[in-house]
Amino acid sequence: MSKILEKLTILSDAAKYDASCSSSGSKRANASKGLGNSDGVGICHSYTEDGRCVSLLKILFTNHCIYDCAYCVSRRTNDVKRAAFTVEEVVDLTINFYRRNYIEGLFLSSGIFKNADYTMERLVRVAKTLRTVHNFNGYIHLKAIPGASPELLHEAGLYSDRLSVNIEIPSEASLQKVAPEKNYSDIITPMNYLSGEKDRYIDDKLHFKSTPQFLPAGQSTQLIVGASPESDTQILRLADDLYKTQKLKRVYYSGYVPIQTDNRVPLLSAPPLLRENRIYQADWLLRFYKFSVDEILDEKNPNLDLDIDPKLGYALRHPEKFPVDINRDDYEMILRVPGIGVKSAKKIISSRFHQRLNSDHLHKIGVVLKRARYFISCPGLPAQQKDHQMIDIKQLIIAGETAQMPPQLSLFG
Amino acid sequence: MATYVYDGSFEGLLSCVFEVFRTKTVPENIVEEQYHQFTLLEDVQHIPADEGLAARVLTGIDARTEDRASTIVYQLFLSELPKVEMLIFNFIAAVIQRNHVSILENFANEFILKASQIERMMHREIHRMHAFVRFQKAKEGIFYAAIEPDFNVLPLIGEHFERRYADQRWVIFDTKRHYGIYYDLTEVQFVTLDNPVFNLSSGDLKPEIVDDAEKIYQTLWENYFHSVNIKERKNPKLHLRHVPKRYWKYLIEKKLIRKSA
Repeated sequence: MSKILEKLTILSDAAKYDASCSSSGSKRANASKGLGNSDGVGICHSYTEDGRCVSLLKILFTNHCIYDCAYCVSRRTNDVKRAAFTVEEVVDLTINFYRRNYIEGLFLSSGIFKNADYTMERLVRVAKTLRTVHNFNGYIHLKAIPGASPELLHEAGLYSDRLSVNIEIPSEASLQKVAPEKNYSDIITPMNYLSGEKDRYIDDKLHFKSTPQFLPAGQSTQLIVGASPESDTQILRLADDLYKTQKLKRVYYSGYVPIQTDNRVPLLSAPPLLRENRIYQADWLLRFYKFSVDEILDEKNPNLDLDIDPKLGYALRHPEKFPVDINRDDYEMILRVPGIGVKSAKKIISSRFHQRLNSDHLHKIGVVLKRARYFISCPGLPAQQKDHQMIDIKQLIIAGETAQMPPQLSLFG
Repeated sequence: MATYVYDGSFEGLLSCVFEVFRTKTVPENIVEEQYHQFTLLEDVQHIPADEGLAARVLTGIDARTEDRASTIVYQLFLSELPKVEMLIFNFIAAVIQRNHVSILENFANEFILKASQIERMMHREIHRMHAFVRFQKAKEGIFYAAIEPDFNVLPLIGEHFERRYADQRWVIFDTKRHYGIYYDLTEVQFVTLDNPVFNLSSGDLKPEIVDDAEKIYQTLWENYFHSVNIKERKNPKLHLRHVPKRYWKYLIEKKLIRKSA
C-alpha cells in the first residue's frame, strides 16, 4: 500500500503538466456486459483546486528518462525521485478507480526508459490487458513515443481511443535549443503514420462492417506557451496547420510553469495564464467560429491583445462588417458578433423564424448585450452610428467588465 | 377560474391538464394536495390521477413534436420547482396551439424559453450526478453511492450507470428523498432502504459492511486528487464553480478538507 501510494504520488505529480484530460469523442459501447461504456460525452469527475478537470487517471508509467529536455520536470539531469509502475499496478488502479466512478479511464504517458520501443511496448501492454483481459470499455489515451516502431503504434491504435505526441516547443529552432536530442521529424513521423492508418481504417469500414475501431477519438498534441520566444501568430499557424494536415482533434496549450531553474528556459515569476487563455479563445475561433488565423492576427498585431478577447479584437478592427442585423443576416455573421456564442446564434436563427426579435428577446436568450449592443441592429436598441469610434467602444467594454472579469476561463476538457 | 388540486404524482398533474383542456377553462392555479390551502371564494377542483388520461396528454404533445415534448414535461416535473405545474400547463398549451415541432425552438415564447432553461438545469444536474457519484464497495460485492441532488434526477440517471457498470451490482441512494435505484445485474429497480447502510453525516458505508480493500482505494484516490493539482495555477473561484460546496459531502477526494474545515 505505502509503496503504491508513493509511486502514484510521484508519477501523477510528474504527469500533471500535460493539459489534456479529454475523455470525449469516442464511442465504445458496452456490448457484452463488461465494464465501462463510452458514449461520446466526456465527464469531468472532479476538479483540482487550480480549476482543471479530472477526468482520467493521468499518470506516467515511469519518470525515468534518457532525455534531458530543459522544460521537463522529468529530465535526466533533474534531481527528482524516480519510480516506475508495473503493468499490473496500472491495470489494477484503473479498474478500481473506474468501478468507483472516480474516472472515465486512463491517460498513460511515460518517460523514455531504455529506448522508444521498450517504453511503447509497456504502454501497449497496459491497454491490451485492460481491453482483452478485463473487457474494459472506458477511455484510454496513450502517449505515442517518438521513434517507436509502426507495429507497436498500430497495436496501440487498436486498443486505445486516443494517441498523442506532444510537440511542446512551437518551433524547430527553439526545440533545438531546449531539447537538442529531439527534432521535429521524430515527432511528426508517428503523427503522420497514425493519421494515415486512421484514414485507412475509416476507408475499410465503408467496405467491411467488421473493421475494428482505430483511434476513435483521434490524435492530439500540446504546445508550451512562454518557454520559448514564438509569437502567438506562429503558435496559431502551427496549430491551424496541425488541424488541417494531421486532422488533430485538439491542440492543447500549456502556459509554461517554471520548474526548477535550467538556464535554457526563461525564468518566469508565474505561468502566463492570461496569454494561454487568449490562445485557447483564438483556437476556439478557428475550430467553432470559422475564423482563419489571418482574421485573428496580422503583421501589425503578431500577438493577441491581453486586454480583450480575440473575437472582440476582430470586430474592433473591422468596423465595416458591422452592425449585423439580427433579424436578417446569416448565421456566420451573427456568430461573429462579440457577446453572441454558438448556442445563442443558433437560438436566434430558430426563433426569428417565428417572430421578429427585439433586444429583450436577445437578453433572455443569453446574448451578452453590453458587448453585443455596439455591433448589432435590432428593435429596442438605438441605431449604431456608422462612424462609431472603435477605440471608444473598446474602452467602454473594458470599463464595464474589468470589475468581474475572470483571470482565467475554463477551456480544458 | 378554478384552482386544480392533484395528488402529487406526475399522472395526477397530467390528469389536471387533461381536465382543463376538456372543460376549455383557464386554470387559476394547479397545486399539489399537501401544499393546498383552502381559501374562501375559491373554486377548487380535486382531480384524481388517471393513468389513461395522463397517457393521452403525453401522446398528444409527442405527436406534435416528433416525440420530444413528453421528455421535457417529465423533466420539468422532476425539477420540483415552485409553480412548475402552471409552467407545464402553459408549455403544453403552447405546443398544442402551435401544432408543430418548431415551437420548441421559439425562444421568444416565454414558456418555451423557461422550459428550456429548466431543462438545461436538469441536464446539468444529471451530468453532475454522472460525475459525482462515488461508489464504495461492500463486503458482499455491491457498490453503494449516496447522493443529494438539487432536483429529483434519480429516475433519469439509472440507464447511464447500467450501461457503464453492467458487470457489478450497485445501489445509488438519494439521502434527501429517501429512495434509491438498485441494479442486480439484470435490471434497475427503485428501492427503499429501511436500515440505512450509510453513515448519513459522512456518507461512509457502515464499518461492519464495508469491503476490506475499500479504504485503500479511497486513500489512493484522495492522494491522486491532490498530487495532480498545480499550485502555481491555484484558482479557487473556478474550482468552486465546477464543484459547488453542497456536493462535497459525498466526494471521497474532499473528505480531508471537509474534516479540517
